[in-house]
Amino acid sequence: VSIRLQLLIVALTTLVLPWAGCQYAKELETALRSSQEQSLLANAATIANALSAQPQRVFHDADDTQAFSASAGDLYVYPLVTQPLLDGYRQDWDVPAEPTPLPTTTGYRARLQAGSTEGFLYLFIEVADSHFDAEPNNVQPDTDRFDRVNLALDGPNGREAYFFGTDAPGLIAAQSVVKGEDGVDRAVAEPRIQAFWLQTAAGYHLEARIPLSFVGRHLWVEALDGRGKGKAGFAADSAAGGRLFFATAGLDSLLETFIGDGTRATVIDANALKLGTAGTVVSKKRGETEESEPIWYRYFLGVDTTDMPMLSMAPDHLSGESVSSALNGHPHAQWVLRGSHRDLLLTAAAPIVIDGQLHGAVVLQQAADQLLALRDRALSRLFNLTLIATAAAVIIMFAFATWLSLRIGRLRDAADSAVGSDGRIQLTMPESASADEIGALSRGFERLLARLNEHAQYLRTLGGKLSHELRTPLTIVRSSLDNLESEGLRDDQRRYITRAREGTQRLQSILSALGAAARVEESIKQSDRVNFDLRELLISALAAYRDGFPGTHFVLHTPEDPCFARGAPDLMVQLLDKLIENAVDFCPPDGTVTVRLERVQANYCLQIANDGPLIAEALMGRLFESLFEQRQGDDDKPHFGLGLYIVRLIAEFHGGTAVASNRDDGSGVVFTILLPLI
Amino acid sequence: MIQPMKKQIAIVEDEPALRENYAAALARHGYSIKAYGNRRMAMQAFNTRLPDLAIIDISLEDEAEGGFDLCRDLRALSAELPIIFLTARDSELDAVSGLRLGADDFLTKDVSLPHLAARVAALFRRIDALRRPDNAAEIVRRGALSIDGEKMQTTWNGAPVTLSLTEFWIVHALAKNPGHVKNRQQLMDAANVVLDDNTITSHIKRVRRKFQQVDAAFDAIQTVYGMGYRWVE
Repeated sequence: VSIRLQLLIVALTTLVLPWAGCQYAKELETALRSSQEQSLLANAATIANALSAQPQRVFHDADDTQAFSASAGDLYVYPLVTQPLLDGYRQDWDVPAEPTPLPTTTGYRARLQAGSTEGFLYLFIEVADSHFDAEPNNVQPDTDRFDRVNLALDGPNGREAYFFGTDAPGLIAAQSVVKGEDGVDRAVAEPRIQAFWLQTAAGYHLEARIPLSFVGRHLWVEALDGRGKGKAGFAADSAAGGRLFFATAGLDSLLETFIGDGTRATVIDANALKLGTAGTVVSKKRGETEESEPIWYRYFLGVDTTDMPMLSMAPDHLSGESVSSALNGHPHAQWVLRGSHRDLLLTAAAPIVIDGQLHGAVVLQQAADQLLALRDRALSRLFNLTLIATAAAVIIMFAFATWLSLRIGRLRDAADSAVGSDGRIQLTMPESASADEIGALSRGFERLLARLNEHAQYLRTLGGKLSHELRTPLTIVRSSLDNLESEGLRDDQRRYITRAREGTQRLQSILSALGAAARVEESIKQSDRVNFDLRELLISALAAYRDGFPGTHFVLHTPEDPCFARGAPDLMVQLLDKLIENAVDFCPPDGTVTVRLERVQANYCLQIANDGPLIAEALMGRLFESLFEQRQGDDDKPHFGLGLYIVRLIAEFHGGTAVASNRDDGSGVVFTILLPLI
Repeated sequence: MIQPMKKQIAIVEDEPALRENYAAALARHGYSIKAYGNRRMAMQAFNTRLPDLAIIDISLEDEAEGGFDLCRDLRALSAELPIIFLTARDSELDAVSGLRLGADDFLTKDVSLPHLAARVAALFRRIDALRRPDNAAEIVRRGALSIDGEKMQTTWNGAPVTLSLTEFWIVHALAKNPGHVKNRQQLMDAANVVLDDNTITSHIKRVRRKFQQVDAAFDAIQTVYGMGYRWVE
């Protein structure tokens, strides 16, 4: 794993920062929420207390604790915001709920809805009736058959019955049956109760307006078919039911006094029916900024909302855990979601208890606190900033790591190539001027290389020094032998002298070989360059080698014309000597040494090739180094790894190069010297 | 028969063992030997009496070039005195410097004692020859070259070419049989010296240069690559 990757991984740990921020935000949110819950619950309890002190302003009939039952004909009267137009349409009521079906035993279908505003009770009755049966003139209400809607009210004067019927659709008045002086029932219009009869494809709509002064606690509605037995609803003489549940007048404005901006208060009765409501959940101040809130950060920051219930939107009653808990007498707060945006909404409900009797509940609804919103914004900004900071840190770290590994890579490359293929040592390293550890490492390398260089230098000169220093003692030995020999020795003594002399000669040749490179270097320094014919030199030298190495077969290929080169022919012969000696050493008996001279582009290409063992690839580049010797010497000639080094020195003196290679067919090796043409 | 006065040879060599060996060997050949370990002692003695021949090492005790100074001083005292450098230093530069200072020969310590004695004898012979009238029989002529084997003198087109003893013997060996290739071993034998190939090469080079100083067109010594050298007329 590269340093770059390691540092990158380390840099990624800075992601802990935004994560820790998230955790902190979550904790903060939980705390803020819980405090909002507490405060809203306390609010609800306060309002509930205040309301329980004045039940007459809250409950229509505070004593009535009987449960609401739609099947028994109980009817919730929706508070209407504006006075509807009497036109047979319900659209202007602005009540989101559908009318309630009236019970029927005959399959005659009718639906009823009630609303109230500004001193009137409005009724909307929708009847499915395929045929319109008009009310006859001079109707006999008890006997005539026509499409009618009966209405019974508990008025101030006791129970009163009315009916609606018409000969033509349109604006009509309710009629009541009055027994005339002649004892005949007559229909008398009651103009204060007006209605609009609208004929539709499916039947008819009846929208009626009744002054509240006519209305008591109970109301019954029944729709009758004019031609059959069809009827639906509750007859006026039903014993029970037909109770009206009004939203309490004036309760809305009373509630307004309790609540602040961004809170909605709803009072419900024990049946969870709405008695009054005030305020809106969305604060006007907040509404402006809410749109710019990013949603995505909730994925990182927000509490888990997946399990939260949706807010129930029923228009006439409230439901939910907190409502049912409050109606069981326990205050309760709960977070719910509202609308398609799934905004968080806090619901807190507190029971209204009067004289130990539960009458209803106050339900407060509030959007997540403005503090929370502020927190959201601050934290999402913090989150963004730490993300940016982390990204920047990662990028900077990556760049730094890249730079670092580049520097180290440079140092490594320099270290790899510090000892060149020619054995020369590159003494300066990159980065050594830097003050940091890499610079120190580089300087350490430089010191190491300097010592290595000193050592190599010492080795290079050791041969020359040795051959020089040993010459005097060797001379002493030899001159002593000379003297001894002339003393007139016996033959057996002479034998030892001869041996000693052979020994000194060998020593002499060893010293000579050791000093060879130094002498060549010196003679290179003093050589003059002349033009000479390389071809002629080769021809005459090869003749000498054929005499000198009778066991080896020599083949020479040269161009036909003279090949003039510039340099020192004596040195060139020495180069040849070394290469031929080398070739002959490795050439098997009866093998062939081939010398070839060609012109290749701007060079002479001189190749000395011999049959024999190949050179290992790994050694190829080092063969021409000073003191490089790989041969397992089985001859008695000393080898110091200087022969090919001398070849290189001489080739370079002539502006050329020396390269060793194996023959393609593996039959031997080729030494190639490239020399520039004149 | 009158015993001729022994020729006196001065050996200046700081290595006692070598000094004694040389002295013993040369004494055996009938020379009187004076051996000195440093330049100061040698010079003191020379100021009193000049030897007939001096063998000098280049580095003398603490003087790395003491032999050169000594040679210069000796030459100042006598122009004829034969001087041989015998040294462990075999660099071309030392040889050139030594010969330029007027030494008659420059030998490395590889030389054997018999070879050394032969040279000493040759130098004395030359001194004697120079004192005798000319003996034309000993003169070899090869075109422009003329060699006096006795006096060890060489001329080219009549102009003298000053050669050291080794150089003279090399030229002599080559010119005696023009056209014959003399390999290095033959030349060494002729010069009574054991030298490595490079030293022969530089001797030849030096000889050519000396002739070229007299005649820039000199080209009589030809290299036969890989074999040796030959004299061409």
